[in-house]
Amino acid sequence: MKRNCSFHDRPNRSRNRVVACGFLVLFGAIFIRLVFLHVLEAKSLADWADRQHHRSIELVPTRGMIVDRGGSPLALTVEKPALYARPSVIEKPQAVARRLAPLIHLPADHLVALLQQKRKWIKVKEELSETEARAVRALGIEGLHVRLDPDRVYPKGPFLSHLLGFVGAETRGREGLEFQYDALLRGSPLRLQLDRDGHGAVISLTRSNGRYSRQGYRLTLTIDEVIQYIVEQELQAAVQRTRARRGIALVMEPFTGAMLAWAVQPTFDPNNVSGLRPAEWRNRAITDPYEPGSTFKTIIVAAALEEKLLTPETVIYCGEGRMKIAGTVVRDPARLGWVTMTEAFARSSNVAMIKTAHALGAQRVWSYVRKFGFGEKTQIDLPGESRGILKQPAHWSQRTLASIAIGQEIGVTPLQMIRAIAAIANGGWVVTPFVVSQMTDMLGQPQSGRPTWEKRMAISHTTSQIVTRMLESVVREGTGRRAWLEAYPVAGKTGTAQKYDRTTGRYSWTNLIASFIGFVPAHDPRLVILVMLDEPQGETAGGVVAAPVFRRIAERALQHLHVAPAPPKIVRVRIEAKAPTALNVSMQ
Amino acid sequence: MIDAAFTFRRGLDPFDWYFLGAILAILSIGLLSIYSVTTANPAMGLTILVKQGTWIGVGVLAFAVMAAIDYHKLARFAYPLYGIGLLLLIIVLLAGKSSRGSQRWLSVGPIAIQPSEFVKVLLILVLATYYGTCRRTGWLQRVVFPGFIVLPGFFLILKQPDLGSSLSFLSIYVVLLLAVGVKTRAFGLVILCGLMLFPFAWGGVWGSLHEYQQERIISFVNPNYDPGGKGYHGLQSRIAIGSGQLLGKGLHGSTQTQFKFLPEGHTDFVFAVFAEEWGFLGSMLLLGLYASVLLMGLEIASKAKDSLGALIAVGVVGMIGFGVVVNIAMTIGLAPIVGIPLPLMSYGGSATVVTLAALGLLFNVKRRRLSLL
Repeated sequence: MKRNCSFHDRPNRSRNRVVACGFLVLFGAIFIRLVFLHVLEAKSLADWADRQHHRSIELVPTRGMIVDRGGSPLALTVEKPALYARPSVIEKPQAVARRLAPLIHLPADHLVALLQQKRKWIKVKEELSETEARAVRALGIEGLHVRLDPDRVYPKGPFLSHLLGFVGAETRGREGLEFQYDALLRGSPLRLQLDRDGHGAVISLTRSNGRYSRQGYRLTLTIDEVIQYIVEQELQAAVQRTRARRGIALVMEPFTGAMLAWAVQPTFDPNNVSGLRPAEWRNRAITDPYEPGSTFKTIIVAAALEEKLLTPETVIYCGEGRMKIAGTVVRDPARLGWVTMTEAFARSSNVAMIKTAHALGAQRVWSYVRKFGFGEKTQIDLPGESRGILKQPAHWSQRTLASIAIGQEIGVTPLQMIRAIAAIANGGWVVTPFVVSQMTDMLGQPQSGRPTWEKRMAISHTTSQIVTRMLESVVREGTGRRAWLEAYPVAGKTGTAQKYDRTTGRYSWTNLIASFIGFVPAHDPRLVILVMLDEPQGETAGGVVAAPVFRRIAERALQHLHVAPAPPKIVRVRIEAKAPTALNVSMQ
Repeated sequence: MIDAAFTFRRGLDPFDWYFLGAILAILSIGLLSIYSVTTANPAMGLTILVKQGTWIGVGVLAFAVMAAIDYHKLARFAYPLYGIGLLLLIIVLLAGKSSRGSQRWLSVGPIAIQPSEFVKVLLILVLATYYGTCRRTGWLQRVVFPGFIVLPGFFLILKQPDLGSSLSFLSIYVVLLLAVGVKTRAFGLVILCGLMLFPFAWGGVWGSLHEYQQERIISFVNPNYDPGGKGYHGLQSRIAIGSGQLLGKGLHGSTQTQFKFLPEGHTDFVFAVFAEEWGFLGSMLLLGLYASVLLMGLEIASKAKDSLGALIAVGVVGMIGFGVVVNIAMTIGLAPIVGIPLPLMSYGGSATVVTLAALGLLFNVKRRRLSLL
């Protein structure tokens, strides 16, 4: 051993220790860094790893069509080219903007600002014309994409607008049927789980949801395009003729509750709703209760007949045509004296109705009003329905019973009203109205649109027949003569409701709602029709203003439906030998 | 000349078992990670696994040979061997096989060898021989003359260009310089620290450069690195390591590799693959294995019979240590990505064989320290 030869023979151990320490320091640094990566930043780095190879993509189906009951399209989705850009890919925004601006008719400054945004994907212009789309494609600039965007189109413009509603951003339903059936119309999107590798190649593709469709459900409505057209035409003409603020006309199948027509005037164009106020698109046939006036007397009469308080032949004293109720005076249009119930109803006597209501009493009136479906939603498949306004009898004032008898102090929607009259027409059944008859998926597999709701009886079949006959006499010899059809027997009731004036706190004599509700043919009803004109000018009586509209709608619609004419028989009423009974009502 | 009987006559003591065990464990971990990578790349298939296995076999043979031949006999041929090495490097520059913009390989039949790896061991031998026989302690003898030995090799390798290998080459010189000591110990320390802290200092110096300057330097050193964008590989490597979290994603669980976000998973970024699949615990185990091999190497150096053996041992430790530190540092974002393989784990014939041969030398020194001669 040559231990004495200084360091040459054996390197100094302390020097080796220096080397060892150097390595340990470096290993320490690596250790600390690994703790950071593996422990402290692990979660975010793991997320990052997942994010960059894993994508979830949603393929949205084409929004389903809405068609009338004959299959004619009322709302459909078309694809329109739109220009998108990926600013990060565009290298020279100024140059691109200069070339692009004249092609798509947008100012270059605006484009430069858009293309310099720090976003992945921006919409530059929607609804390009075909020539614009072709020109942009021809440029072939990387980062500019012409993509087909779905656009909701209502080919018939304002036709049926209040029922259809419209869509908002990203073609999501905002109003009407578009809103109510939004999920079904949109369909279930296809969700794809995508794994891609570092070179961008797709490694695996899995569907994460079982049910999906390339198209949303197609809605088939109960609406008959032709009847709807007739109704809109007649209603618009009437609104113009009477200079009414607005008008509503509904047509319903009495036995099923299927709505055949649904017109609200004035209409709007769902293709272009920008700048419209909710008041213009609100579906007033279900959202706005009104005081029905005389048409509501039908309900009171039906209740009294059902309760066997009276018969059509019961005579009633209408006196001088005026009556004091709780300090106010109710008038009749004419002095009737002693008349049968049928006549009093046909002449729309307020006095007779108030006496009848008093004979029934508050509790029974209230329960029949409820039975006919007032004060509750009809459960129609439309959004925004109102329950109407109906107070509990406990909250009624001295006057309320009398008011309700003549259709005041109660708020009903036109739909509730037509449903109640449909119950007279169909033998007493209160049905659930509906507008979508069928939903069809992309494979054509139909699915019933109509939930099976209960229908209930409001009055007996017999009573409904008696009321029908009384409604016929309204048209034959009462206030509704202008609804008379030569070819078909008509049953109906007029209404001329005073609007309650909030400023004066009284019923107005100038702001009226003229209405007519009826059904044809009276004994084999195919159609229940409601016509309502809000604040007509000049002639205001329902029998004068609304009844002729009803007549024209009924006539044209029945012809369209090929209903065989059955001229009304003049039934000779056999005068019975026994003396008619009189209705005695004590007013206290 | 081959006195294997002498080397292995006495049985292996516990130290030897630990030493050999740690090396074998690292080799296995390397093969496991390469196996995991092969499934992500069916085109590559198992061939690289088989090749690497073969190289390890060859390497084990080299280990045995280097352990068996008395290092004193080897030292006698150090200068001519080194000369041959330099000659090979010149041949590489003139007639080497180029790949991805650099010319590093010599085709020998079906295989391509990388002389720059072999020259490293020869450098260890020649420097150890030089310092072992040099009796003078002046500046010239200590620093300048050996410098003339080192620099030709260094520049020849740098010219290929292969920044990683040339730095690794230089590091052997610096570590040995530190081990023999110079008048001012600080001088050696400065160089060592400069070299070792190079990755860490890199951030500050590198960060102050303009982007185009950085790109210029990178493309000079390694024209085809990082094709997907600056920092992409480093970032993907860090994502891989971090997403391994505590326990890792298991064998074949490396999404970064399976989905081809992490390039070079079987070579330069093999540590990232392992760390992603085996997590923090795995990388701690691996780090521990490397540290123990290196510390055992220094232990061998301290107890070496003579200065030649000690210097050989320190040189081997310096060479392997530099590779481990710089490779891991670059995969975890502490050093620029210069392309240094992870010793004993990265796929590559020359590096594997040379590393094992160097470890054989180390073992050689250990076995002979109790020589009765």
